[in-house]
Amino acid sequence: MRDYWLSKLFFDLQSPALAAEFRAERDKVLARYPLQGTVKDAIARQDVPFLAERTNAYLLRYYFFATGMKDDEFIRRLNHG
Amino acid sequence: MAELVGAFAASHGPLIIREWQRVPAGEKKRMAAAYKELGRRLTAAEPDVLIVVSPDHWSNFFLDNYPAVCIGVGAENDGPPEPWMKAFPHRTLAGHPGLASHIVGEALRAGFEPALSHRLKLDHGSCIPLWKMELERLPKIVPMLLNSIEPPMPTLGRCYEWGALLRKAIEAYSEPLRVAILGTGGLSHSIGEKTMGAIYEDFDNETIRLFDRPRDELIRYLDAKLPTHGNGSEEVRNWLVAHGAAGGRGFELVDYLPVPTVIVGCGFASWRISA
Repeated sequence: MRDYWLSKLFFDLQSPALAAEFRAERDKVLARYPLQGTVKDAIARQDVPFLAERTNAYLLRYYFFATGMKDDEFIRRLNHG
Repeated sequence: MAELVGAFAASHGPLIIREWQRVPAGEKKRMAAAYKELGRRLTAAEPDVLIVVSPDHWSNFFLDNYPAVCIGVGAENDGPPEPWMKAFPHRTLAGHPGLASHIVGEALRAGFEPALSHRLKLDHGSCIPLWKMELERLPKIVPMLLNSIEPPMPTLGRCYEWGALLRKAIEAYSEPLRVAILGTGGLSHSIGEKTMGAIYEDFDNETIRLFDRPRDELIRYLDAKLPTHGNGSEEVRNWLVAHGAAGGRGFELVDYLPVPTVIVGCGFASWRISA
């Protein structure tokens, strides 16, 4: 399953400028994307398995790399929530 | 007429750049030597043009429109957009519109239907091998971006046929160009999925062995194993393109080593070109 707008957010965050803005003012950036409430909540609580079901694995990895999560933590959350 | 003068494959992966200093000395030495050896062989082949077959890691394409195959027909393409690739020595890479457009035309006539682009961003998939091969002179680059990132992907058989088509198109091109092919990516790795970090050494070794066997045997094995051996392993499609171009006669393995620090089973291959 692909959530288009979630994927679009992750795709756009490959831009270092947008990634910096996202880290500083996450809600402001999120407001530009018509995301479902459950998806916004999952982003807020860094719910990796929930997001993994809705986007491409490479985009998912890019997103958590861009937001500063270490790979070990990313893998732990991916497997154990 | 143009001729195919070499076919090669080499792994790529972001951590080959980002974590290079953390790679254990022995593995680093072997990887560096393998890339350089491919660079030496490529240089010795004296190509005017290098067709680089790589996935697009969401650098050009998105869910709006993700082509199975896109050929870069522009006079120039951009270097890698990733911030951690900014030390790559080329901000732009010259293309070869004549050969690239000819390949697209031949493909369409043969019932293949590639997308085309007049300007692409060549991300780490294309540029890490070019960088690590330490080429003194970069040939003109014709990019062929082949989807191995977002399902559904081209069939493995189609990738082999793409290689054969490239060979035929090269040999039908009227200018006396020397053309080489570089497939990048693979072998096993797993990105952004539960098995992230896994390297399947047995799978890699069997895949390497089967490149020397009839292509149906290789493709049957890959079709059966790819779904459970890491999403990054899907990039072996690019090796199949090189294999098809080289006539499917197997390659000389320059080196293979699993490198946990970069989370890739790193393979380096140089094909024997059949007449």
